Amino acid sequence: MEITLTHYLVLSTILFAIGLIGVMRRKNLLMLFFATEILLNATNIAFAAISYYIGDLSGQMFAFFIIAIAASEVAIGLGLLIVWYKRTGKIDLDQMNSMRG
Amino acid sequence: MELYLYIALFAPLVGSLYASLFGGSPKSQHVGIVASGLLFTSFVSSALLLSYVMGGHTVHVELMTWMETGDLYIPFGFVVDQVSVVMMMVVTIVSTVVHIYSIGYMDHDKGFNRFFSWLSAFVFSMMVLVMSDNFAGLFIGWEGVGLCSWGLIGFWYQKESATWAANEAFIMNRIADLGMLIGIFLIYWNTGSLQYDVVFSEIGNLPLVVTTWIGIFLFIGAMGKSAQFPLHTWLADAMEGPTPVSALIHAATMVTAGVYLVVRANPIYDLIPNVGIFIASLGAFVALFAASMALVNRDMKRIIAYSTLSQLGYMFVAAGLGAYWVALFHLMAHAFFKALLFLGAGNVMHAMHDELDPFKMGGLRKVMKGTFIMMTLASVALAGIYPFAGFFSKDLILEVGFVEHHYVIYTVLLLTAGLTAFYSFRLVALIFHGEERYKLFGIHPHEAYKFMLVAMSPLLLLAIIAGSFKMTYYQLVTSLLPDTQYHVHGEMTYWIMTIGTQLFVIAAIVFAYKKYSNWNSVPDGSSKLENSFGYKLLSNQYYIPKFYEEVFSKPYLELSRIAWKQFDLKIVDATVDSIANAIYKTGENTRDIQNGNLSTMLRWMVIGLVVLVSLALAFTVGYNAVGA
Amino acid sequence: MIDHILTLLIFFPALAAMLGFVVTKDSMRAYGIAVAFIEFVLSLWLWYAYDPMISGMQFMESMPLIPAFGINYLLGVDGISLFIIILSTFFTLIGIASLTETRRLKDLIITLLFLEMTMVGVFAALDAIVFYVFWELSLVPMLYIIGAWGGPLRIYASIKFFLYTFTGSLVMLVGMLFMAYFYYQATGQWSFSILEWYRLILPENFQLWLFAAFFLGFAIKVPMFPFHTWLPYAHGQAPTIGSVILAAILLKMGTYAFVRFSLPLFPDASVFFMFPIAIIAIIMIIYTAMVAYAQEDIKQVVAYSSVSHMGVIILGTFALNVEGVSGSVFLMLAHGVVSGALFLLVGVIYDRRHTKMMSEFGGLASVMPRYATIFGIMMMASVGLPLTINFVGEFLCLLGFYKQSHMLTLTAGVAIIVGAIYMLSAYKKMFFGAVTNEKNKNLKDLNRTEYLGLIPLVIVAIWLGVYPKPVLEPINNSVESVIQLMHDKAQSPEAKARIPDLSGKNEIIPMQEAH
Repeated sequence: MEITLTHYLVLSTILFAIGLIGVMRRKNLLMLFFATEILLNATNIAFAAISYYIGDLSGQMFAFFIIAIAASEVAIGLGLLIVWYKRTGKIDLDQMNSMRG
Repeated sequence: MELYLYIALFAPLVGSLYASLFGGSPKSQHVGIVASGLLFTSFVSSALLLSYVMGGHTVHVELMTWMETGDLYIPFGFVVDQVSVVMMMVVTIVSTVVHIYSIGYMDHDKGFNRFFSWLSAFVFSMMVLVMSDNFAGLFIGWEGVGLCSWGLIGFWYQKESATWAANEAFIMNRIADLGMLIGIFLIYWNTGSLQYDVVFSEIGNLPLVVTTWIGIFLFIGAMGKSAQFPLHTWLADAMEGPTPVSALIHAATMVTAGVYLVVRANPIYDLIPNVGIFIASLGAFVALFAASMALVNRDMKRIIAYSTLSQLGYMFVAAGLGAYWVALFHLMAHAFFKALLFLGAGNVMHAMHDELDPFKMGGLRKVMKGTFIMMTLASVALAGIYPFAGFFSKDLILEVGFVEHHYVIYTVLLLTAGLTAFYSFRLVALIFHGEERYKLFGIHPHEAYKFMLVAMSPLLLLAIIAGSFKMTYYQLVTSLLPDTQYHVHGEMTYWIMTIGTQLFVIAAIVFAYKKYSNWNSVPDGSSKLENSFGYKLLSNQYYIPKFYEEVFSKPYLELSRIAWKQFDLKIVDATVDSIANAIYKTGENTRDIQNGNLSTMLRWMVIGLVVLVSLALAFTVGYNAVGA
Repeated sequence: MIDHILTLLIFFPALAAMLGFVVTKDSMRAYGIAVAFIEFVLSLWLWYAYDPMISGMQFMESMPLIPAFGINYLLGVDGISLFIIILSTFFTLIGIASLTETRRLKDLIITLLFLEMTMVGVFAALDAIVFYVFWELSLVPMLYIIGAWGGPLRIYASIKFFLYTFTGSLVMLVGMLFMAYFYYQATGQWSFSILEWYRLILPENFQLWLFAAFFLGFAIKVPMFPFHTWLPYAHGQAPTIGSVILAAILLKMGTYAFVRFSLPLFPDASVFFMFPIAIIAIIMIIYTAMVAYAQEDIKQVVAYSSVSHMGVIILGTFALNVEGVSGSVFLMLAHGVVSGALFLLVGVIYDRRHTKMMSEFGGLASVMPRYATIFGIMMMASVGLPLTINFVGEFLCLLGFYKQSHMLTLTAGVAIIVGAIYMLSAYKKMFFGAVTNEKNKNLKDLNRTEYLGLIPLVIVAIWLGVYPKPVLEPINNSVESVIQLMHDKAQSPEAKARIPDLSGKNEIIPMQEAH
């Protein structure tokens, strides 16, 4: 079977949906980070695939950017998570509501 | 001559303002004297103006502009012509007498100074009313006398009954004033002016329908001031005020303002004889109606008040039938003897420590000779016995009715004349003759101050001799008013009528005397007469005041409460508040979006993203579909 | 001669108010009176320099603000606005002079001076946006006065007042923007100047919509039934000075706006809506008089009576003839004087007994005779006794509307009856009868501060009732040009018939041409 762009895009969409559901449902902050990573990587796949099939290299360059930014975001996020855990002892999302509206 | 006009007009105002300076202070004799003196000046000026007018001239001044806008021009203008000078004389004579009398009557009253302020202010308003040369000025005086009447009826303001009567008078007058105002509007929009001379010359050019409405609305105003049925209940209640007030306002001046209006507006009423017939019929009805209530009343002042109401009916009969000079003549004569009667009643009241029930008096002629003579003679004049003033004026009205072929009105008035004689002398007999029933109540009566009796004497004189003025008066007044002589056809008929009326009246007097001059007990409500249906009907004024209270006053208050509590608060305001509440609720409900919970916020973010993307897609697709 | 007198009149109180922040607490009262007095003298000078024979705008000033959209700082007065401005400065002076409030007096006086600025600004503005700015700004000091110095329900009352009026004004703003847009479409230029808008003749259906939009804004301010329910709360909770200024001046903004905007801009719509609005006016007159009769709180009686009189004013405005409209402008002044005085009088007894329930009083005439006399004079003025200022206005309003409809005027004339009923009944409850309540027995009569406020009002009420000419004449001339403008612009035959044609009369300088 020929692997066309469509397959990659479908994979990307499925991964994106998994990530989205994870973002919406996860109560654990760490799991939230995982879900965010999945989201970002889903878009990476999409970018790389489209770039290959169209022949324009800027998509893959953009994918590199996203990897870099995702890494730094996770680094900072994990750092904040450690600090928060040291202060409150829990990383349950439902209990982080001191900024109420 | 203009100077005398201004003096006559403004002297009472000066007196009123002077007295008001001392309004809060305890009684000072000089206040009464100054006020009476200024009134006397006004009287002298009016007399001078009278002689001037009798020489065939009139005085007309325009003091200043009052309202000027658009096409409307209303000045403060005053005219002294034949009609107004007669009214001025009546007003100033009676007012001067009443002022001097009040110095004695209000001697022990704390509000002495305030009384004179109100009283003189009243005279000023009345002078404005009769001297104005346009309908707006008339209306100023009209409302002004209403105001002063309110202040004077409610003079003893600690009394609930007095203040209630004052409010009743003012409000009833206001209801009638609305009619008058509409009449004034009609006059302005149809003739372009409110000046008497312009209006009366234009009135003939108007369609009859318009003239009829003008006449009707102006008469509605007159009905309130002159207490014609059904706006009559305030007059009897107005007796709550001090007796000099009743003498001045409710006998001689304010209540006659309605008659003055009809007489003054005679060019209008001449064009609408149907309205005139209505006025005359109503007048005849009121004459009989009021006389019937006076027959059984046990309040001295109320009896005299009903008598006034009855005589006002007579005046309206004359005016309605077009005999304006006759109506004015009766107005004049009536003012004299009725004021005299009220002042005498004041003396009796003071002597009897404010007791008003004639059944509790009796035999006072032994102690109060002067008052006795005056009241008896005044009653004789009222009954219309020759040669007193009442004969000339009342009989003339009866003649008018007869000559104009209104036999029903004539009969009603004739009957009323008999009733008038009866109740007047019932009152005199009960008060001055018979046993001294007052001794049962420990009252020690004494005659009034000498100077009060002296002050009353000009009225007595006039009540006796005013009839002789008839010819001079007729010459004077018919330069302005329609000049109609009323001759009964046939000498025989005339003599039968006159003598017959006199005999009828004398018989009534004799009957009254026989019944009441030897009374020796105070009825206590248990006799057969007092419990009969007729008696109850009459002594409760045909239950009309109760009717007004149940059908108008109470429901209006109830309706007002409902308008406030049920409607304004519960419906109108609640609607506004419910809109506000809806917005608050929406705000409260959507506040949960911001509850600080990260996962909720993320959820909303996703939902929002999905919605926005779909919208963007839809618009792009739609745009492409439309555009391409 | 003073240049830019109008700008001076508007901004002088505001500047003085800002300077007032550094004035010490004890001299604040004197400072406030001095500033208000100077302002009042300036406005009297304005009257002196005003030429009553010219019917157009005088003392005009113009300065561009946003030239791209034709928004200029445009000011001017004519006979209609001149006297309301004088009334505003007069009442600020009287109000500050007779202030008996003691808490945070300094803040109160500063607020009043800012309020004065907005009031004069509204009546002098001739540019729609400037008008709108001042109109909305006037809400802020009032909100503060009610909210900070008011009674127990003050927050509710002040918020209701603010939001209700604000909502209406927003609809009005939309109307203004549309009007400017139409002007742009018709002439190719943007302009928000009212005088230039007068030149525009709009098609009838546009007039109807715009009239309705403007109507909502004005009707809530007047206040017209059924948008009136904010007023009793505002009055009930406001301090005396708040009620006085609210009744005397702020309510007039609505009725003034009708004469300045709705009538000349939308003549056909005015004729079209004349009868429905007259019916609303009659409901206002009679219904609120009945509600006033049922009240137990004397301040609420006066508050509802305000609405009742505004009904007569609206009736006169929509008589659409010179007698009616001049009557309504005059009645605006009269009502300001009389209502202001009545609220001051209610304040007098409230200061002594801290209650406004009439059942607590009774027999006050024996204890406080001078107070009873002045209250009686003002009560009779409110009832519309001839030779008082209210009668002239009411007479002219009813006379004017009579031309348009006999039956409706007869119904509206019932105003004089129902007015007498509730006023006399309230007066009787408070002043007549025996003194039954112990606490009333030793009340002091009026003191000097209170006299200072009341005597000038009594004098004005009687003087202008006897001799209204100096005020009525300039009003008359300006109104004549408004009516003439309306007649010329009217398109529908009914409008042409109902609005009188005054062109046969002596020279009228149309509004646009004055200096």
